[in-house]
Amino acid sequence: MTRLHPFTLLAIAAALPALAWILPAPAGGLAMAVVALALALTTGVFRTAVFTAAPFWLFLLLLHDVPTTVAIGLRITTMVSSFVWVVAALPPPRLVEAMVAAGWSASAAYVFAATLSAVPVLRARAGRIADAQRCRGLSPRGGPVQRLRALRALATPLILSALHEVDERALALETRRLVPGTRRTPLAPPSDHAVERVTRWALAAACAAALAWRLR
Amino acid sequence: MTRLALERVTFRYPATEAPALLDVSLEVTGGEVVALVGSIGAGASTLLLVAADLAPRVVGGRLEGRVAFDGEGVRGIVLPTPWTQLSGMAFTVWDEVAFGPANLGLARDEITRRVDRAIARLGIEGLVSREPTTLSGGELQRVIIAGILAMQPGLLLLDEPTAELDPIGARSLWELVRALAREGTAILVATSDLDALPAVADRVAWLDRGRLQAIGSADLLGSEALVAASLGPTVANVWHGARLPSPYPVSVAQALQRWEQR
Amino acid sequence: MGATVTSTLRFDRVSFSYGAVQALSDVSFALDSGERVALLGRNGAGKSTLLRLVTGLARPRVGTVWVGDWDTRDATPDRLARRVGSVFQHADQQLFARTLEDDVAFGPRAIGLAPAEVASRVARALAALELGEHVREHPYDLPPALRKLAALAGALALEPALLVLDEPTAGLDRALRERVNRALLERSAAGAAVLVITHDLTFAAESLDRALVLDRGRLARDSSLPGLLGEGAGGGGGGALEALGLLPPPVASLSAALALPGRPIRAADAARALARVAGGESRHLD
Repeated sequence: MTRLHPFTLLAIAAALPALAWILPAPAGGLAMAVVALALALTTGVFRTAVFTAAPFWLFLLLLHDVPTTVAIGLRITTMVSSFVWVVAALPPPRLVEAMVAAGWSASAAYVFAATLSAVPVLRARAGRIADAQRCRGLSPRGGPVQRLRALRALATPLILSALHEVDERALALETRRLVPGTRRTPLAPPSDHAVERVTRWALAAACAAALAWRLR
Repeated sequence: MTRLALERVTFRYPATEAPALLDVSLEVTGGEVVALVGSIGAGASTLLLVAADLAPRVVGGRLEGRVAFDGEGVRGIVLPTPWTQLSGMAFTVWDEVAFGPANLGLARDEITRRVDRAIARLGIEGLVSREPTTLSGGELQRVIIAGILAMQPGLLLLDEPTAELDPIGARSLWELVRALAREGTAILVATSDLDALPAVADRVAWLDRGRLQAIGSADLLGSEALVAASLGPTVANVWHGARLPSPYPVSVAQALQRWEQR
Repeated sequence: MGATVTSTLRFDRVSFSYGAVQALSDVSFALDSGERVALLGRNGAGKSTLLRLVTGLARPRVGTVWVGDWDTRDATPDRLARRVGSVFQHADQQLFARTLEDDVAFGPRAIGLAPAEVASRVARALAALELGEHVREHPYDLPPALRKLAALAGALALEPALLVLDEPTAGLDRALRERVNRALLERSAAGAAVLVITHDLTFAAESLDRALVLDRGRLARDSSLPGLLGEGAGGGGGGALEALGLLPPPVASLSAALALPGRPIRAADAARALARVAGGESRHLD
């Protein structure tokens, strides 16, 4: 599954919720939800998908009758599950490689890259900051006020140091020539097969056809 | 031949009245290592950004005077904080080093050649399959430098390149800098590792509050002025402390030579 | 009746591994009140791991780490903060309060000191590092070098029995390094034990007296600093230091090359010896 081209993964993740909303409820929603949940299962994020969608069901139940709840709930489940699946199945660097290889907006790839390069560094730094603050006496226990103060001691340095480094990150990417207009040599371009390209177009066409059919 | 020339450059950061660089003229040619020394905030990092064509183009601000760069190859700058220089688009160290060359649009086999060579020169063969985010500061610094070297810069700008390295790692890096100069790269380096400079730098430029106060050979580090400004190598400081006459020796070898001749 | 004087820090046959990687093997040593010790070794030798064990962020798999009479296994890092003031690498990234003063006060407040006591400790710490003029400033308005000093002030303000610092002089110029040196001397004179991880052997020679050298997780050397540095500076013994990932600092090399009496490793001592040999008196090295 993850060997599919990033654009294919995105196409599927977009098509499933689209069809869930377009096709008549509850059958359409049910079918798409089943597919989306199955995909989530294959990437090991089934529980994440279910637990993320659950609150919506509760909320709906408070507002609507059962049939409406089911209809909307299935559609939302499809959306949530597709999203959770694509985040797990598609590492952002692969998506950026695909964008750049396809000659897409180098500026967008640029912004993506600058943000991405910060994420793992910040994650590691968050851990180090937490360690440092604990060694200064920050206790993990305590009431809500304590915890809020603790959060400030952890979040503020992370955000401030990240903001301070934004400029340097941009400079580093510039010097390594990731600039608008770059004709980059793809190092490991995600392979794209004709079958996948056709599938993507077919998905788009299916959504359009379903829409036309519903609207007639 | 590669040549960088700053002619009477004055630079102000955005929304700042006080200039970070004032009337600085400096030239670096291929094959030579010019070291920038000065106290923190003297303008060395700013000068490197100007030389790299990142200030004011990307950084903003106002520049007066002229910056001329002739030569082949890119201008590559290595900033002092290696973790801000990761691309975020590479799963492995190899890909990270290849990031720059890939952006230059080179052919696959050329990229491979350059990357393998850069990795060998920095001695990081053991790290090639590692994820860049798991590296220590010193390993990261070497990876970033390799990434710039793989772009084969005509002008190499280094801002505190040994900051994260241990003493033996620092020594290897300085040896690499000399080797690159021998191959024709023009190198401008800002560093506070004053003791290493006599063996590395062909010329030393002293920056103080944005002005170029003096420029000369590495022996400049042994001048009364620099030692008084706390910019002398340790040997020079000891000589000064012993009330022996200036100019002071800048290295143990020079000290020994002078001692034996007295 | 004499009570046994417990060391400020004691490692008792400590081993630690990260999964399959053995980071420390059978390390034993003790630090007493007032000692100033350098923790040396190449990158990856186990220095940071040792620091994590001292602060309670990690617990030894084998052996015991004693901070005073506390076994670190029974204490959390925030509790150990009452006895251990630590500053990690890149500490300039851990500041968060709105003013420098507030940030330095964070530690003392967190360990539960009374406001008046917090205020006086903060004032003393800021004075020790000459940061008085910046008290009301936002930490991020200060240059990174001063932020590092601010983080050190935070640890000093705890007035702990043990100070542990990781590369405290990285990114500092000579004047700021001198401030750190003076602050550490003051703390150790007041009874604190100081343990400093550093690659800056010049700073170690100026400021510290004893050296613990880690090599691939083992304690390879536990000796006086002059003894250790003298080992490598002379012609023959050069290999020993380098095998440990160390290089003799310039003063030690100079002393050996010029055969200065006493083989001083501190700049001021070398200047005095040099002056004596050259005839004449040395001026005060500032």
